[in-house]
Amino acid sequence: MTDPNDDMLDDLFGQARNVAPEPSEALVARVLADAAAVRHAAATPKPTLLDRFFDMIGGWPAAGGLVAATLGGLWIGVAPPASVEDFTAAMLGEQVAVGILSSDTVFDMDPLADG
Amino acid sequence: MAEGGLWPSAIYTRRPRAVAKHPMNTTWDPKVSVSDADLLLAFAQGNGQAARELTQRLLPRVLAQATRMLANPTEAEDVAQEAMLRLWKIAPDWRAGTAQVSTWLYQVTANLCTDRLRRRRGGVSLDQVAEPPDETPSVAARMQTQTRLRALSDALAELPERQATAVSLRHLEGLSNPEIAQIMDISVRSVESLTARGKRALAAILAGRKAELGYHDD
Repeated sequence: MTDPNDDMLDDLFGQARNVAPEPSEALVARVLADAAAVRHAAATPKPTLLDRFFDMIGGWPAAGGLVAATLGGLWIGVAPPASVEDFTAAMLGEQVAVGILSSDTVFDMDPLADG
Repeated sequence: MAEGGLWPSAIYTRRPRAVAKHPMNTTWDPKVSVSDADLLLAFAQGNGQAARELTQRLLPRVLAQATRMLANPTEAEDVAQEAMLRLWKIAPDWRAGTAQVSTWLYQVTANLCTDRLRRRRGGVSLDQVAEPPDETPSVAARMQTQTRLRALSDALAELPERQATAVSLRHLEGLSNPEIAQIMDISVRSVESLTARGKRALAAILAGRKAELGYHDD
């Protein structure tokens, strides 16, 4: 003897198995858009450490400005214009070199006698 | 059963050697069957046509599985899209020979559905609210079918997840116990136990709604 509840369940399973919806065009489009996005992400090369550094400072334009400023500063240090020298002299005073020992004393010493 | 396409026929066909070796450099002949795994490999190597072919092959089955388990078209579409998205994402790491794409998709879809069913427990969605009766016989019949399928889905939501998965694969998808064992990565004996217990539990849950669902003891 079969359980009537089993009959009901088998009927429900049968009805569920008959459900076979066709994917809508919108769903297919969504799925293909996902596929394209994943493919695009995979095709984009991962940034190197240098790329990430440039991104951090603001890209190539910022890097160019940084290099120009660095070189400018270096040049001012090596060959300061007169106005800069006057300014630093006014702010910091004249540069004075003080020798504790005269060069004569250091270099003209007699070699130590043996023994 | 009408689902002859549950297991894509291409899986059982021998794949052309040239396509298998160089999926990226080869455009396949649509008349020649190529395995799902080969198409996935081609997709991973940047072939957009492979995505269209895989979608055409696999999406109907994924959507059907989700619809049968959830009895809600919107939720089923979301699950189907998510399952396919996971397929696209795993493509670069797919190792041919370890699993069949269809097996993997059954598992992913079932897991996504049981997640949804778990969230459904305790809450009453708008779909469960009774709608005004329609006097047209065909519409009434359709509504009764929808009510029954929703009742079955809600009863599945009451089961432990592994039982719900095993029962749905066995009785909604019509898969064999060895196939389910492979999908769930358990023994055939465990599948038999899960489906038997799950079916008994479902019958008990639905017994109280028998009259409401239009079934009568004769």
